[in-house]
Amino acid sequence: MIHDIYSLLRGPMVWLAFCIFAGGMVFRITAMVGLARQKDRVVFDYMNTRYALRSILHWMVPFAGVNMRKHPVMTLVAFVFHLSVLATPLFLCAHILLVKASWNLSWWFLPDGVADVMTACVVAACGFFLCRRMLLPDVRYLTTASDLFLLALVASPFISGFWACHQWPGYPVVMMAHMLSGEILLAAIPFTRLIHMFFFPFTRGYMGSEFGGVRHAKDW
Amino acid sequence: MPEKIRFMGSLILLMLLAVLLCPAHAQEDIVRVADRVFEAPMRPPVAFHHDAHNEKAGLDDCSICHHTYENGKKQEGSDSVGMECSECHFSKDRNNAVDLINAYHLQCNGCHASRKAGPVMCGECHRRR
Repeated sequence: MIHDIYSLLRGPMVWLAFCIFAGGMVFRITAMVGLARQKDRVVFDYMNTRYALRSILHWMVPFAGVNMRKHPVMTLVAFVFHLSVLATPLFLCAHILLVKASWNLSWWFLPDGVADVMTACVVAACGFFLCRRMLLPDVRYLTTASDLFLLALVASPFISGFWACHQWPGYPVVMMAHMLSGEILLAAIPFTRLIHMFFFPFTRGYMGSEFGGVRHAKDW
Repeated sequence: MPEKIRFMGSLILLMLLAVLLCPAHAQEDIVRVADRVFEAPMRPPVAFHHDAHNEKAGLDDCSICHHTYENGKKQEGSDSVGMECSECHFSKDRNNAVDLINAYHLQCNGCHASRKAGPVMCGECHRRR
C-alpha cells in the first residue's frame, strides 16, 4: 500500500505536476498576450526592451527603489523569502539525488545546514505575510480567504519537508504529504496569483516602458 | 640446516597470517552498509543485517547484489563477493559503471520498489536515530 502511494507520488504525479506547471504557464501567457492584443493594444506599442529590462533589473536589487527603502522590513523579508522559496527546492541535496537516481543528472547543491535555515526563512516569512495581512488595515481590507489559502499552499511543502528531513515522528506519512503538497503547489502556480512568477517580467516591463518611454521618468 | 629453519619459519609465518586474516574473511556479522570511501558522509549510515535481510528477501544467489559487469553486460555465473562496491563504482576509470551513491540507491531502492517490499524513502534507510 505505502509502496503504491510512494511510487505514484515519486513517478506519475511528478510528471503530471510538471506538465500542468509548464502547460499552464504557456497557456496563461498565450491567453494574456491574446487578451492584451484584443483589449489593450497600447501595451505592444509602448513596450520597449531597454526600459523594460532597466526596470526589471532595478526592481530585482534590494532597496534600489524608493518604496523598498520606505518599507525596509517588508523588503528584507520579501527578498529573503523569494530567494529561499526558489533556491531551496532547486538546490537541495535530497532532491538532486532523486533526479540523479532517475536520470543520472546532478548539479551543485546547498549544504544541508544552509537549506535548513532557508527553509525556516520561507516558513517564517509566510508567518510574517500572514500577520501583515491580519494586522495592517489597508492590507487586511484587500485580503480574502484565497490569500490565506495561498500562503498555506506555499508553506506546507516547506514545513513538511523540514519535518521529514529531520525525521520527526510520523516520517513516512509526512514525507508523502511533502511530496503531494509540493506537486499541488507546482501545479497550482499557473492558475493562482502565484502566476506572478511568470507575469512579473511583463507587468514590470510594461511599467518600465511606459515610465521610461512616455513619461520620461523612473519607475522606482 | 639454515634452509630448514627458513622453511619452518616461513611456514609458521604463513599459518599466523592465515589465523589473523580469517576473521576478516568471515562475513557473518555485517550490520551496516559501509564502504571505506565514504569519508565524510552527509547522511547517517544505513543499517543492514546482511544475513537476516537475505533470508527475509529469499536471496540465495550472491551475484544478485554482488554482480560483475563487463562491457555493460552482467556476467552470469560470476560474482564480486569480497569486493567493496567502490572498487568498480568509485574508480576514475570505471568504464561507465554507475557512480557509488547511485549504485547503492538504485541497487537497494530499485529492488525494494519493484518487489514492493522494504524501505524506499530516504529516511527509512538513512535513519537519524
